[in-house]
Amino acid sequence: MSLETSLREIARKLLEEGQVDVIIGYEKGSLPLQTTPCFIDDADDVDRLVWNESCGNNLAKYLVDRKDKAGVVAKGCDARSIVMLVVEKQVERDKVVIIGVPCSGIIDRRKIVETLEGREMLEATIKGDKVVVNVEGSEEVFAKEQFLCESCQTCEHRNAPIYDVFVGEKAKETKSMGETSLSELEKMTASERWSFFKRELGKCIRCYACREVCPLCYCEECFVDQTMPSWLGKTDDESEVMFYHVTRALHLAGRCVDCGACSRACPMGINLRNLNRRVEKRVKELYNYEAGLSFEETPPLATFKLNDPQEFIK
Amino acid sequence: METTVSPSTEVNKEDNWEPKIIAFLCNWCSYAGADLAGVSRIQYPPNVRIVRVPCSGRINPMFIVKCLERGVDGVLVSGCHPGECHYISGNLFARRKFTILKEILEFVGIEPGRVQFSWVSASEGEKFARVVRDVVEEVKALGPIERMVKAAPI
Amino acid sequence: MKGKTILKERLPDFIDELIRENLVFAPVKRENITCFDEISASDEVHLNLQNTKKPSKDVLLPKCEPLLLFEAKDKKVEVKEPKISDARRILFGIRPCEARGFNVFDKAFTSDEFKDVYYMKRRENAIVIGMACLKPSPTCFCTSVGGSPFSREGSDLLLVDLGDRYFVDVITEKGEEVIEKTRLFKDAEKRDIDAAEKAAKEAEASIKTRIRLEGIQDKLSKMFDDPSWDDLHQKCVGCGVCTFLCPTCYCFDIVDESYGFEMRRVRVWDTCQFPLFTQQASGVNPRPSGKERMRQRIMHKFSYFPEVHGEIACIGCGRCIRECPVNFDIREVLKSIM
Repeated sequence: MSLETSLREIARKLLEEGQVDVIIGYEKGSLPLQTTPCFIDDADDVDRLVWNESCGNNLAKYLVDRKDKAGVVAKGCDARSIVMLVVEKQVERDKVVIIGVPCSGIIDRRKIVETLEGREMLEATIKGDKVVVNVEGSEEVFAKEQFLCESCQTCEHRNAPIYDVFVGEKAKETKSMGETSLSELEKMTASERWSFFKRELGKCIRCYACREVCPLCYCEECFVDQTMPSWLGKTDDESEVMFYHVTRALHLAGRCVDCGACSRACPMGINLRNLNRRVEKRVKELYNYEAGLSFEETPPLATFKLNDPQEFIK
Repeated sequence: METTVSPSTEVNKEDNWEPKIIAFLCNWCSYAGADLAGVSRIQYPPNVRIVRVPCSGRINPMFIVKCLERGVDGVLVSGCHPGECHYISGNLFARRKFTILKEILEFVGIEPGRVQFSWVSASEGEKFARVVRDVVEEVKALGPIERMVKAAPI
Repeated sequence: MKGKTILKERLPDFIDELIRENLVFAPVKRENITCFDEISASDEVHLNLQNTKKPSKDVLLPKCEPLLLFEAKDKKVEVKEPKISDARRILFGIRPCEARGFNVFDKAFTSDEFKDVYYMKRRENAIVIGMACLKPSPTCFCTSVGGSPFSREGSDLLLVDLGDRYFVDVITEKGEEVIEKTRLFKDAEKRDIDAAEKAAKEAEASIKTRIRLEGIQDKLSKMFDDPSWDDLHQKCVGCGVCTFLCPTCYCFDIVDESYGFEMRRVRVWDTCQFPLFTQQASGVNPRPSGKERMRQRIMHKFSYFPEVHGEIACIGCGRCIRECPVNFDIREVLKSIM
């Protein structure tokens, strides 16, 4: 039985037995290499569900403020987000059924579109380790590995660490080789990094797609929208854009699971992960914590140790 | 510590430019320590504008970023020594927040040394003065702040 | 059609001539993002794509536009108006859908009684040199909303790429003036006109998405309380991508920004998809959830605006479909409504 068929069967069973009121999964999208979130409450509709390398969205996003019981198709990163939401008491554990799926990476659609340089991608199929694309009538083949999302290239949690049911066999976990883009940034001087971030974040149009697709950005009133006090203006001034991204990284410290949804959502193609990746790396080094792996661990910024590092304090 | 010389420092820096530094001091320890320095007539540079907060844990890291945005050249945050917080653990939570804030600011390219932290107790008037002297000197060497400052687009 | 032609290899010369006396805006690539921006040389122009990522609307409606400048000096406050250049603006390489879209702005920002001076200053001096679409995208659906890949609406000149030359449809007097000043154009021959007409037919036939939207305005006006909105909005996450990249979305906010001793009153793009858009000071929000906001977007474009101004406020460019983080597809919504 193929993975998709197993998934659909599991979904059908969960709905028929009343274990969940709705299944949140992925269905075929309207663009090549694109899937879209779907909400299935009828067991007859489960054949809409798909599972492939285009299932990028982090579905944990849709769990906050739900009144019903939901079964969620969860990749490793998505499941970790769900764990974080439970730890932060935004979602009740017994209101979620985590349907783990084996993930070996999501294809970075934007990267392929960019490579085509204005030529139109009409259709695409994934055949093993190749992505076969119909580019305006002619066929072009891309090596899947080279076009995986950056977050997937260094992923060490391809399978849900915690789940209620797992579809098929687990994906093989790999040890990350480390990030080249992050280590390049770390080698730069402060001035060079400032120039880099100025240019990169200068593309930001403040659409807040990054914030909205992030499952852990669930505040009813985001700091950006506060008027008393007013932290940020609404213009595109460089300082405003930096303030927004710096503060968002701060608010996600110790909570970000690096699902990559923010970078994938950004219409301007900004590599938003750099900042978050660096923060999570330091959080791991300083406080030995990785987000979303257990219900018992307290997030690092919600606790302290008497011997926390403090060499920088005079 | 890296010192950067920004273009305006070369061109506009007057010899009598003095950095403007905002200091967030916790009421029970650091503010009292600053007060002690004053009462004891210990001299320290006048570049510091003090904002009194009940506890270093009250400080929202956004205050610090907002200061930089508004053109403040340096920010000092000072609280009770760990274990001595008037509210028991405020400074212990703050310590982690400040660590992460410092990591982010430095990674983004704000010069290390613009945002500084200290533990100063109520009896450490002398230490407070010394901390301020050090901070002023270090910020002065960095020059006026340019990165992160809200500037009117042309 | 009254037509001219220009050799493709002479087009850069034409653009450089225009730059000498006008502000020229054209599709460019800035930091890997295609958008419309002012150019200083013809080699900046990037025509190698169907639609730019960012639309051309910020040429007429900048993302952040200072309306008033205040400066505190000597205990007094000076009020200044921002300078908007009087120079003629050439908008080069605008797709016919976006040229039609400027009409939506005209209707929104001008009326018999009132005219938005900031918008008008840019609009009055604007000359639109359109570029017909030979290869519409799979996401294009301009023909469903009253447009077409070769639509002449809104353009002063319309260029058609015929391989080694461009056919130029001279549509208005303003357009004619622009061409008269240069010697790079010659009269079109019958073969040019035939080739352009053939290209137009082929382009129109190649549009895959066809949605019949007759009567959508009426249909929607009866659907305000329809339960289908409950399901429709579920996957939308409420960001601003669709509205910011939409060539016909024009909602804005006016904010005061302070810069030390200077203050500016700035008009900035806003979006009905943010909860703050309708948040009232009392705490009440008439559009409290994504459902109301999603409904608003569809109804504004396909019901309210047509009701007030007589045309659909969507040009079918497909940017919202391509860039939506959750692949919310407005075509599917429209099909399900009809």
